[in-house]
Amino acid sequence: MARRSRRWSPVPYLLTLPGALWLTVFFIVPMFTMFSVSFQEGNFEEGFVFTGYWQNYTNVLTRYDTQLFRSLAYGLIVTLVTLCLSYPMAYWIARRGGKNKNLFLLLILLPFFTPFIIRTLAWKQLLGDNSIILGTLKGWNLLPESYQVLATSTAVLSGLIYNFLPFMALPLYVALERMDPSLLDAATDLYSNRRQAFLRVTLPLSLPGVFAGSLLTFIPAVGDFINADLLGGVNTVMIGNVIQREFVTNLDYPEGAALSFLLMGMIVIGVFLYARVLGTEELTG
Amino acid sequence: MSDRYDLSAIAGDRRDISRRELLRRAGIGAGAVSMSAFLAACGVGGSNETGDQNQDDGLTTTKENGELNFANWPLYIDRAKGRRPTLDDFTKASGIQVNYKENIQDNETFFGTIQEPLANDQAIEWDIVVLTDWMIARMIRLGYLEELDHSLLPNFEAHAGQIYKDPVYDPSNAHSVPWQSGITGIGYDPKLTGGEITSFNQLFDPSLEGKVGMFKEMRDTFTLTLLSLDIDPQEASIADIEAATEKLIEQREQGIVRQYYGNEYADALLRGDLAATMAWSGDVFQLQFDNPDLRFVVPDEGGVLWVDNMAIPQNAANPIDAHTFMDFVYDPEIAAQITGWVNYICPVPEAQDLLLKQGEKDSYYKTVAESPLVFPTPEMEANLHGYKDLTADEEEQWQDLFQSVIQG
Repeated sequence: MARRSRRWSPVPYLLTLPGALWLTVFFIVPMFTMFSVSFQEGNFEEGFVFTGYWQNYTNVLTRYDTQLFRSLAYGLIVTLVTLCLSYPMAYWIARRGGKNKNLFLLLILLPFFTPFIIRTLAWKQLLGDNSIILGTLKGWNLLPESYQVLATSTAVLSGLIYNFLPFMALPLYVALERMDPSLLDAATDLYSNRRQAFLRVTLPLSLPGVFAGSLLTFIPAVGDFINADLLGGVNTVMIGNVIQREFVTNLDYPEGAALSFLLMGMIVIGVFLYARVLGTEELTG
Repeated sequence: MSDRYDLSAIAGDRRDISRRELLRRAGIGAGAVSMSAFLAACGVGGSNETGDQNQDDGLTTTKENGELNFANWPLYIDRAKGRRPTLDDFTKASGIQVNYKENIQDNETFFGTIQEPLANDQAIEWDIVVLTDWMIARMIRLGYLEELDHSLLPNFEAHAGQIYKDPVYDPSNAHSVPWQSGITGIGYDPKLTGGEITSFNQLFDPSLEGKVGMFKEMRDTFTLTLLSLDIDPQEASIADIEAATEKLIEQREQGIVRQYYGNEYADALLRGDLAATMAWSGDVFQLQFDNPDLRFVVPDEGGVLWVDNMAIPQNAANPIDAHTFMDFVYDPEIAAQITGWVNYICPVPEAQDLLLKQGEKDSYYKTVAESPLVFPTPEMEANLHGYKDLTADEEEQWQDLFQSVIQG
């Protein structure tokens, strides 16, 4: 057995080949193309030419800094709130779920059975100025006539938090579920109280889940444009909306590409710092 | 959701589903569309130095091939019982099979998908595309469209309305003939505004805080704003656009604008989230079935008449079949059939009488025929303006200024 496993075999390489090719063609090549586009100059009628025009980056940074930082701030808020909301939930299911664990997990996943655009559109209906909720409250004079939820940052943040909650809850659940409960008995045997046991045993062991959940929430939330589009107003435009418009409406591919890489760079740096703080070696090992 | 759009009382079972309801659903697919545009964008390099390298080398053929590939916008042709009567009638009359696809969601996105082959003087799969006037002007400038042979279009000569002939964006209709058109004006609910709206400047009134909708369609928003500043949009300079930008930014910063909308403004108006909004005539006409209080008005300062046109892309495989179809829809009976369902402005004035006659049996058609939103009055027409044809440089400058308005 031992000898056979050491002999070189083409099989594993052949098995990875389709996946590697897929990634090369549909990830690496487009990335390089877009990177080169971000240094092009011109317009859609005369075509774009590569001139090493790095000013695309400074141009978009000065023009869209508000939207860029707003998106990063929204991403942070969404990550923190989903973390606070889903940790107790994941903990409860992992520890107290008992026989019904799978049912509770299914309940978390249930919204995924409907496309998130449909669900967000439903929010739009529910939160309208004269909707069943606000209209009724206004009718009882509990809210001023001019009160609105839609078209505010509250609406956009709520939509983001709602849509990304499962992405935080599931990794947390996995991390908490695979923790050996007897470790808590050991902590108690060593005279720790429940608070200490949580802070020194449960929490550190769940950090891989926190880390994975934060990435799965933060990265797509920062780049999201659907929630701002459907629920937002004039002061909630996110960077995803700007990029989408640069590509689709303005046909200004270089600026759109520059903005995308700027965003990607900021996210990569942010995640790198985050990983340094949480110490990934322990987490992924 | 569809219960609010029950038109059956008026329209019988003729309209299996309202056009706008479908439009709204189509809007949901916008994410998917933008992805394809994004991918298309990856491929556009410096392929075309100047437009004039696309010399017109005549049509690819001089006879009908019995086939027609037609790209149009969603819900822009009549439907009944899952069929499209106009296309069926056409095939019966001419023997030409039509491959009809509703794959144009907006001008820019579609342009992004066909630009590369056209810039390289290759054929695309479509024999007829329907695009808005300013896009037609751009494609003519780039040499992307075939010249039309008007000897094959006798119905157009005989029945097209005067204002549709020899338009500024395509002198003597050399490359295009209108499909349908519409007006950009103001839609409002008098119960929410507390009075009539007649001027575009009323959309800048702080008393409507958070209740005003504006368009994220640059040309519409700038053109109406220019008119409200007493500037002729055709003559607008960059300084004029800067003045318009300033006015729009002030409106946003005062909290008057709720959002910059695409098609979804119609829903917000119907729900009462908006009291007054920029609006397209055909939409408001259909919204009035759901809420008869809603009004549409051409602002005193002037409104926009936009025209969606049929055109034949360069090197199309079936150009003669395309001419046959273009002429077919200028038969007043057919024009009436399309407008009776689509409810945008019909380029054939005679269709109004035919619809009135139909209205004797079915009041829905009477409503269509008598609506100034479908057949505008001469006074309305006199107060309508076209978009300015922008060069690529102007387009970029305008877009940059407009971004500073809508991406607050």
